[in-house]
Amino acid sequence: MTLYLVKRLAVLVASTAVAGVAVFAFMALLPGDPAEVALGVNATPDAVAALRKQFGTDRPPVVQFFDWFGGLLHGDFGTSYVTSSPIGPQISDRLGVTAVLVLGGMLVALVIAVPLGTFAAVHHRNPLGAAISALSQVGIAIPAFLAGILLVFVFAVQAQALPSGGYVPIVEDPAQWLLSLLLPWLSLGLVQGAVLTRYVRSAVLDVMREDYLRTARAKGRGSTGALWRHGLRNASIPVVTVLGLQLATLLIGAVVVERVFVIPGLGDLLLNGVAGRDLLLVQGVVMVLVAAVLLINFVVDVAYRVLDPRLR
Amino acid sequence: MRRIGIWIAAGGLLLGTAACGGTSSGGGSAGTPKTQALSVGFVAEPANLDFTSTEGAAIPQALLVNVYEGLVKLDQDGKIVPLLAEKWEVSPDRKTYTFSLRKDVKFSSGAPFTADDVAFSLDRVKTDWKLKIKAQLDVVDKVEKKDDSTAVVTLKKPSNGFLYSMATRLGAMFSRTGIADLANKPVGTGPYTLGSWRRGDSIQLNANASYWGTKPPLSSITLKYFKDATAMNNALLTGGIDVISAVQAPESLQQFADPNRFQTVEGTTNGEVVLSMNNSRPPFNDKKARQAVRYAIDHKALLETAWAGRGQLIGSMVPPTDPWYEDRTGDYPYDPAKAKELLGGKTLNVKMRIPNLPYAVASAQVVKSQLAQVGITADIEPLEFPARWLDVVFKQGDYDLSIINHVEPRDMGIFADKSYYFRYDNPEFGKLLASADEGTEQQQTDDLKKAAKLLSDDAAADWLFLFPNLIVAKKGVTGLPKNAIAESFDFTALSKQQ
Amino acid sequence: MRGRMNAGLLVGGVLVGLVVLAAAVSFFWTPHDPTLVDAARKLRQPGGGYLLGADKFGRDTFSQIMVGARTTLYVGIVAVGIAAVIGTPLGMIAGMTPRGWLSELIMRVNDLVFAFPALLLAVMLGAVYGPGTLTAMIAIGVATVPAFARVARAATLQVMVTDYILAARAAGRRRPAIAMRHVLPNIGSVLIVQASVSFAIAILAEAALSFLGFGTRPPTPSWGRMLQESQELLFSTPRLALWPGLAIALAVLGFNLLGDGLRDYLDPKLRRVRAES
Repeated sequence: MTLYLVKRLAVLVASTAVAGVAVFAFMALLPGDPAEVALGVNATPDAVAALRKQFGTDRPPVVQFFDWFGGLLHGDFGTSYVTSSPIGPQISDRLGVTAVLVLGGMLVALVIAVPLGTFAAVHHRNPLGAAISALSQVGIAIPAFLAGILLVFVFAVQAQALPSGGYVPIVEDPAQWLLSLLLPWLSLGLVQGAVLTRYVRSAVLDVMREDYLRTARAKGRGSTGALWRHGLRNASIPVVTVLGLQLATLLIGAVVVERVFVIPGLGDLLLNGVAGRDLLLVQGVVMVLVAAVLLINFVVDVAYRVLDPRLR
Repeated sequence: MRRIGIWIAAGGLLLGTAACGGTSSGGGSAGTPKTQALSVGFVAEPANLDFTSTEGAAIPQALLVNVYEGLVKLDQDGKIVPLLAEKWEVSPDRKTYTFSLRKDVKFSSGAPFTADDVAFSLDRVKTDWKLKIKAQLDVVDKVEKKDDSTAVVTLKKPSNGFLYSMATRLGAMFSRTGIADLANKPVGTGPYTLGSWRRGDSIQLNANASYWGTKPPLSSITLKYFKDATAMNNALLTGGIDVISAVQAPESLQQFADPNRFQTVEGTTNGEVVLSMNNSRPPFNDKKARQAVRYAIDHKALLETAWAGRGQLIGSMVPPTDPWYEDRTGDYPYDPAKAKELLGGKTLNVKMRIPNLPYAVASAQVVKSQLAQVGITADIEPLEFPARWLDVVFKQGDYDLSIINHVEPRDMGIFADKSYYFRYDNPEFGKLLASADEGTEQQQTDDLKKAAKLLSDDAAADWLFLFPNLIVAKKGVTGLPKNAIAESFDFTALSKQQ
Repeated sequence: MRGRMNAGLLVGGVLVGLVVLAAAVSFFWTPHDPTLVDAARKLRQPGGGYLLGADKFGRDTFSQIMVGARTTLYVGIVAVGIAAVIGTPLGMIAGMTPRGWLSELIMRVNDLVFAFPALLLAVMLGAVYGPGTLTAMIAIGVATVPAFARVARAATLQVMVTDYILAARAAGRRRPAIAMRHVLPNIGSVLIVQASVSFAIAILAEAALSFLGFGTRPPTPSWGRMLQESQELLFSTPRLALWPGLAIALAVLGFNLLGDGLRDYLDPKLRRVRAES
C-alpha cells in the first residue's frame, strides 16, 4: 500500500508538471504580444520594449516558464498584464466559490441518486423501478444550463421565491448566501444525480447477485435488511470511483452554470480572462482546474485501493 | 465511518475558504434600512480603473462625473456647462481660454484642487496618456497657472473641439498626489468615491462626504456587471438590481410592461451602429461595391428584427443631438436591384468579423441574409470583445465588413484618420473637418453637414441605426438620464422614493 | 440475451434515426430557407406552412431544427471520429503490451489529457483560432480520446487471454497482424457502444459551447445557439426555447439508449468493461 501510494504520488507530481508545460506552451502560442495589447494601437516601440521588460516577457520562454511554475509552487500566480493586480488572490477567492458550488451540486446528486438508485435496483423487476431508470435516462439528456434556465424561470421569475442569480458571501449574510446558491446547486445536482442514479442502480444490482445476499435471503432475512447490512459497503466501491469522475465533470459544468447564474467563480474568471486577453490569468485558472482534476483522480485511485480489500 | 468524517472536514475547509473570499457588500444583499442604496446593472466591466491608459467605454462610464470631474461637463441636451470651472472666457482670437476655478473643491484624498492640478492633468494627457483619442488635445499649446484659482489654456490655433474635449475623459482632473495606482485607486473631486471592487461582480461607489457641490441623495451605488442580457433582466425582475443601465435584449422589454412595478426610459445616444467596410482592400476599395452594400440593406427591417425596432435610422455619422445633424437616410434607399446593377452581375465573398456583442451578432445575421439577396456572401466570424476584435479588426484591419457601435461623442473625425480601421482616405473630408474646427460656430455647423454628406455619398461605411438609450428601472427610481450622450452614466441626480 | 432486441435499443434507434433523417432531408429540402431573415414573419405563430413558428428574425424554426440536426451530427461524427482514430490504436497497444513502458506511458498521458476537459480545450483553442464549429469539434474530439483509449485497452486485455489469440501467438504471428486480424474485430462491438455514448456527450458539449459563444458561428443553425438566442424571449415566446431544448434532450437520450441497447444486444458481459474503464 505504501509503495503504491508513493508511486501514485510520483505520477501525480509528474503529471502536474507536464500539464504545467502544456498549458504554458499553449499560451505562448497565442498571437499578440501582451505588452503591445496592453498599450493599444498607437504605442511607440520604446514603450512596448519598456513594458515587455516590466512584464518579463522579453526573457527566453524557458526562463519565463520556470519563473511562472516556480511561483505557482508557493501560490504566486504572477501579476495580470491587463488589470495590473496579483492573480493569486483572485483565483483563491473564486476557487472557494466554485468549490462550494461543486460540492453542493455533488451533495444534491448524492441525495437524489443513492435512495433512487437503490430503490430502482431492489425493484428492478417492477414498473416503478423501470420508471426510475427511464427517468434517469431523460435526466442525463438535459444540459445543465438548460436546467438552470428552466429553474430560474420557474422559481425566480414566476414564483419570485429565489434570487435569479448573483452571489452573496457567507460572512455577509448566511441566509442570502444559501438562497443564492440553491438554484445553481439544483441545476448542477439534478443532472449529475441522474447520471449517478444509474451507477448506483447497477452497483446495487451487482451486489444483490452476490452469494452472501442470497444466503441472507435464504436464511429468511428480508432482502432489504441484508442489503443495508452488507451490500451498501460493497456497492459503494464503484460508486466512489464514479463520484470522483463526476466531481471533475461538475467542476467544468460549473463554468456554464456560473454564467447562467452570474456567480463570480473560476469559470466566470476564465471566460473574462479569455475575453479580455488576460493571458496570465487564463493560464493560471486553466492550471488550477487541471491540477484539481488530477488531484481528484489521485484521491479516487487511492480511495479505490482503500475501499476494495481485494486490491490491498 | 472515520472516512466520512474526513470527507466532511475537507468540505468544511473549502467552505471556510469561500467565506473568507468575499470582501465587500454586493448588489443583491439587503442594506440596512437607513442608508439609501441603489444597484445598477451594466454590461461591460472595466478591466482596470485607469482610463488614461486603457481603451474602452466601461471606465469613463463608471467614473467620469461620478468620481472624476472636469472643468466642464455635458448636460442632457449636449450643451457644455460649468463644473469645476465657475466660468471661462475666450479671447477674441479664440486661442486663449481663461478658466475661473471653484475655490471650495477638494480631492477625495483631502488635497485641495487648484490651477496647478489643471496644468498637471492636461500636461499628463500629452506625456502619459496612451489612448488614441489624446490627439484631440494636441491643439493645446500650453497650460499656465495665473493664480490658485485661475488657469489659462493657450491653443495653437482656434478649435471648436477643444472645449468639447474638455467635457470628456480627456478633461478629467487628477491630483498630483493621487496617481500612484490609477488602475485600482482613483482619486477625484466627484460626488462619489470608490468604495470597493469585487472583480467579476460589482463596483461600489460611496457618497463623498466632503463633496463641494450638492451632496448626492444616495449613500452608495453598486454597479453590478452582467455578461448576459438575460441574467441582467432576471436580476431586475427578481429585485437583484434596481436599474438596467442599457437594455441588451430589447425584445424582452415586454417583461417590464407593468407600470406598477417598472418604468422604461427611452432616449438617444451618441452610438452609431456602423457597418464598417475596409476601404483599402478589395472588394470594398471599390466605391461601387460599397454603394451596393448600402442599397442592399433594408434598414427598417433590420432595426425591426435585430433590435425590436428601438433606435433611429440616421444614414451618416451624426447623432440627432449634434447641431449639424441632418437626416441622411434618403441617400441610399433600399433598392436591391440597384445594388445588383452596381455589382455588375458579380458575386462577392467577404469576411464579416464582428465583436461577440448582442447587437452585433443580431445585426450581422440580418445583414448577411440581406446581402445574400444581391449576391454578396458574408462569412460571419464573431470575435471576443474587446481584446480579439480590437486586435484583428481595429488594429490589423484584417476584415472586409464589421459591425460596431461607435459610442464616442462627436466622433465623425475618426474617418479623417486614414490609419483608422475604416482605412477611408479622402483628403477633402479632412479639409472640411479642419476648417470646421478652426472656424466660427456657424461655419463649423455648415462644414460638418457637408462632411457628413460626403461620408454618406462616398459610402465610407453604412450606418445601420442609432443605438437607443433604453433604461428600465423599478418604479420610484428618479434622476435617470434620458439621453446617453456623454461618456459617463451620470449618477449625481439618481435617487429613490421610499 | 445475445441478439435479443430490447426496448432501449428500439427507442434509441428510432430517436437517432429521426435525427439522421432530419439532417439528411435538410440537404435537399427544408420548408423554408433557415437563415432567411424576413421582418414580416417576425415571431410568427405556428401554422400555415410554419409548423413551429418563426423566431425574431422571421426564420422558420422547423427548418432551423432540421439543419441544426446536421450541425449536431457533424460535430458528433467528427469528434467521435477523432477520438476513435487516436484512442483505439493507443488503447490496443497499451492492452497488448500490458507490462511494457509504452503501455505505462500511454496510460499516463491519457490520464493527463483526461484532465483537460472539452470545455477548457475549446475555450483555449477558441482564444487562439477564434470560436467555430471546427475548433469545437477538435476540442471535443481530443477530450474524448482518453475514454476510447481506456475502453479499447480494457477490451483488448480481455481478448488477449482468449484461446485463439494464444494460438495465433504460438503460431508466431506478429503483433500488428494479430491486432488487425483478431483483436480489432473482437473489440469492435465495445467500440461501437462507446462511440454511441461519446456521441451523446459530444452533443451536450457542443450545446454548452454554443451557449457560451464558443461553438457554431451564426447564422449556421445550431440547437445550442437557438437556445441561447431564445433566452430573451423566454417569457413571451417560450416555444423558441422549447423546440431546440427538446431536440437536444431527445438526441442525447437517443444516443444513450442506443449505446446501452447495443451493449445488451451485442454482449451482455460487456457491461463490466465499461463499468471498470
